[in-house]
Amino acid sequence: MLESIIFSILALFLIIGAISMISFKESVYSAISFLLVMIATSGIFALLHQSFLFLAQILVSVGAVVTLSLMIITSINIKKENLPKHRVSFKSVIFSIILISPIISLIFYAISSLDIVFKEVNNSFGTIESIGKTLFSNWILPFEIVSILLLSALIGSIIISKRRLNI
Amino acid sequence: MTPHYFLYLATILFAIGLLGITIRKNLFVIYLSIELMLSSVNIILATFSKASNSQDGSIMALLMIAVIASEASIFLAIIVYLYKSTKTIDTETFTNLRNEESI
Repeated sequence: MLESIIFSILALFLIIGAISMISFKESVYSAISFLLVMIATSGIFALLHQSFLFLAQILVSVGAVVTLSLMIITSINIKKENLPKHRVSFKSVIFSIILISPIISLIFYAISSLDIVFKEVNNSFGTIESIGKTLFSNWILPFEIVSILLLSALIGSIIISKRRLNI
Repeated sequence: MTPHYFLYLATILFAIGLLGITIRKNLFVIYLSIELMLSSVNIILATFSKASNSQDGSIMALLMIAVIASEASIFLAIIVYLYKSTKTIDTETFTNLRNEESI
């Protein structure tokens, strides 16, 4: 009972944050709504007994990604006249909803025909110890590939911000 | 609580992210929508991980968080570069690949 109340509150925060994120005109307000979405997502992870994912989401997504986005938005200081001119028209919203409704209704149909329930999990599920053991025994190759990906992202962002080119 | 509620919630978030990509012209909002879609996939992975009582989904979500972080660094570098060279973040401006004479 308590679980469903917490889930409803988190879902409300997630949907309100996501809708306000795509509807604000100023980028700073969108980023702050995105912060709300990320914190509610970590709450969903905590509800699913994933204590390490909850920590990683708070540390990486809230602490690094959203903070970096807010810092970039405030440091490049976009003027009001440089924002996109035209308003979002009602016609384009209707057209986009028609465009994405087939795939979303297909996913909804697939979920409603699923036959799964939550089993009772033991106490060590999702803790740092058990996740670390699985990560360094069965998932060692993807872990190494992700470290190469992070290195290439580091080099790529430095190279992109160094070059001078006229568009 | 059944897993279906979590999966429906993640699907709604994915739909909102897709809608944000298609209707907005602001580069920052497109970037935040991509992040939202990746996070909704993370919710689905964590749900299936708990439903199948196995750690593999959690590990995949953990690796996805690393992918999200690297995507954020690259995308923000591209946004800063585009804003420095054109003084706008309107996606209608960046039409180099759409011009027929440049093909």
